Amino acid sequence: MPEREFLEPGSDEPEGDLLSDGLRRTAAAMPDAPAIVEQDRVGENRVTSFGELFEQAASLAVRFVEHGIQKQDRVALVLPKSTDAIVSVFASLLAGAVYVPIHPQWPKERIEATLADCAPRLVIEGDGSPPRITDRETGESIPWIAALAAPIDIAVQNSLPRADAGDPALILFTSGSTGRPKGVVLSHRAVGAFVKWSAREFHLCSTDRIACPSPLSFDLSTFDIFNMAWCGATCVLVPDHSVWMPRFLVQFVREARITCWYSVPSILASMLEEGRMAQHEYPGLRVILFAGEVFRGADVARLQAAVPQAVGANLYGPTETNVVTWCCVPRDFDGSQPLPIGQPCPYATVTMDATSGELLAGGDSLMSGYWNRPEDTQRAFVNLEDKRYYRTGDRVSRAPDGNYLFLGRLDRQVKRRGFRIELGEIETALASREDILEAAAVAVEDGKMGTAIIAFVRTRSAGAVSLIEAKAHCARILPLYMVPDHIVFLDAIPKGSRGKIDYIALGKIAETLDHISTSQAAPNQAAPDHGDQDRSPAVHR
Amino acid sequence: MEIKTAVRQFIAENVLLGIHQTTIEDTTPLVTGGLIDSIGMIGLVNFLETRFKVEFVPREIDVHSLNTLEQIDELIRKKLASQQAGAAGSGPQIR
Repeated sequence: MPEREFLEPGSDEPEGDLLSDGLRRTAAAMPDAPAIVEQDRVGENRVTSFGELFEQAASLAVRFVEHGIQKQDRVALVLPKSTDAIVSVFASLLAGAVYVPIHPQWPKERIEATLADCAPRLVIEGDGSPPRITDRETGESIPWIAALAAPIDIAVQNSLPRADAGDPALILFTSGSTGRPKGVVLSHRAVGAFVKWSAREFHLCSTDRIACPSPLSFDLSTFDIFNMAWCGATCVLVPDHSVWMPRFLVQFVREARITCWYSVPSILASMLEEGRMAQHEYPGLRVILFAGEVFRGADVARLQAAVPQAVGANLYGPTETNVVTWCCVPRDFDGSQPLPIGQPCPYATVTMDATSGELLAGGDSLMSGYWNRPEDTQRAFVNLEDKRYYRTGDRVSRAPDGNYLFLGRLDRQVKRRGFRIELGEIETALASREDILEAAAVAVEDGKMGTAIIAFVRTRSAGAVSLIEAKAHCARILPLYMVPDHIVFLDAIPKGSRGKIDYIALGKIAETLDHISTSQAAPNQAAPDHGDQDRSPAVHR
Repeated sequence: MEIKTAVRQFIAENVLLGIHQTTIEDTTPLVTGGLIDSIGMIGLVNFLETRFKVEFVPREIDVHSLNTLEQIDELIRKKLASQQAGAAGSGPQIR
């Protein structure tokens, strides 16, 4: 049984297999060591020690339990990635509950729909510190732990309910093809498998300073917050605003003396390009991990040249499986070929569907299923020789050296800036606007921008919906990363003989448009002044 | 050139291809209205720095300071004024 091999020594005792156990252990062993560093609004650093983090989280957990929170109740965290949010994560887990991170910048409608779906008992929200905690059933509020409480009694600590390793620890909501986000339920064991492996593989320890700009609602963030707790490393929170100015990210990595970085490739690419990462040195930076989308070979080589001493690794796996394969950047990597997604992690078993080339992933890190969607869950898995595999939808091939290579998708899911997007969800959003009769979306590769999403819409009458109105409508329903780059107004959406949307034809139009748009992008070429949209007979942009 | 006009032109030509400039109002939400995403923002910030010869420091830019043409105009004016006064700030240090 693979799951036996990878449990830590001493795991016969209940200690050690829950995500909160690492924090309990580390806080006892090194209470004064820094757990979290967060820059506040005026640029001052707020440092929280392991002792403080555990005390705060455990006190809050006790408060939750006193309030009547039961094991497996959901606690929704509508919070930016902050010290308070991380306290809330561990408080939920210590109370035996399941945390559901929801990005506070998602549109209200989406936040509400997600809350309605996961039916949390508590909602923790608010921009400022401290956050507000509300009982969603009764409307009562629970006070935040304002000042550091007195050390909590061991007996009280021990009275906290204990989840089982196979119980859900968190639910991550991802784009759903039918227009409704899907909740991926992950157990303590599933996330723990990845955390423990990455700690060992990359030799993470208490001197490490880990940074990961991904929000809590993104699976990458299980790496920094749980390795912090597991290894006693410091989690240095990346200031939100820096993603708009890659040179601030580069400055952050330098000044915060980051030793281990984990992000989507797009962010690293912007640090290399606009942030001019190669102009500086990063003597302490020893591990750079990336996941979530394809990192162009040339950029991987640039990264290696910019930070030559760091070990780079490509981690692969959808939210449903977390990381299941990985590939270290070879020392002599020249960037002429894409980096493989590599070989399976020790806790994972992967295989390839011989007919379709689809990668199937099994092992300890697998999700428990989709929240509240038994049919989708059933469809997501396939059993082979009594083992459960998740159908990734990713088409792969296998190189003679055993490495898997990513070839593309079998469905209409795309990755843009590392975010996973179901094109169907964009279509549903657009079509929900009055006067939009039909919508279809395609993704095209744009050398400089990465993946661009082009939506085609047919409106009730010409000019019934403007480009700005259509985009604003999307932004009210979808997270910003899902708003299409371009919206093209068509008199008719091309259809095949059976009346189905002809996405191949649309892709061809999109590529032409993209070509036209890049050639028009030169500054100071004002568009001809003839109204809101430039309308050609069939296509009006 | 007036700040808003220059920014409006930049957005129309580089971010919202094909749209007529005047349809972007001074108060049209650019970020929260889905017109500019994070990559578009990197381009816009680059443009502002180059075009107006200003240099932003960490924490100066966020969704509240760059969401509309009006806010961008105000931010750039403030930057230019403080640079003229020789009082350009320096970024906070991260420990």
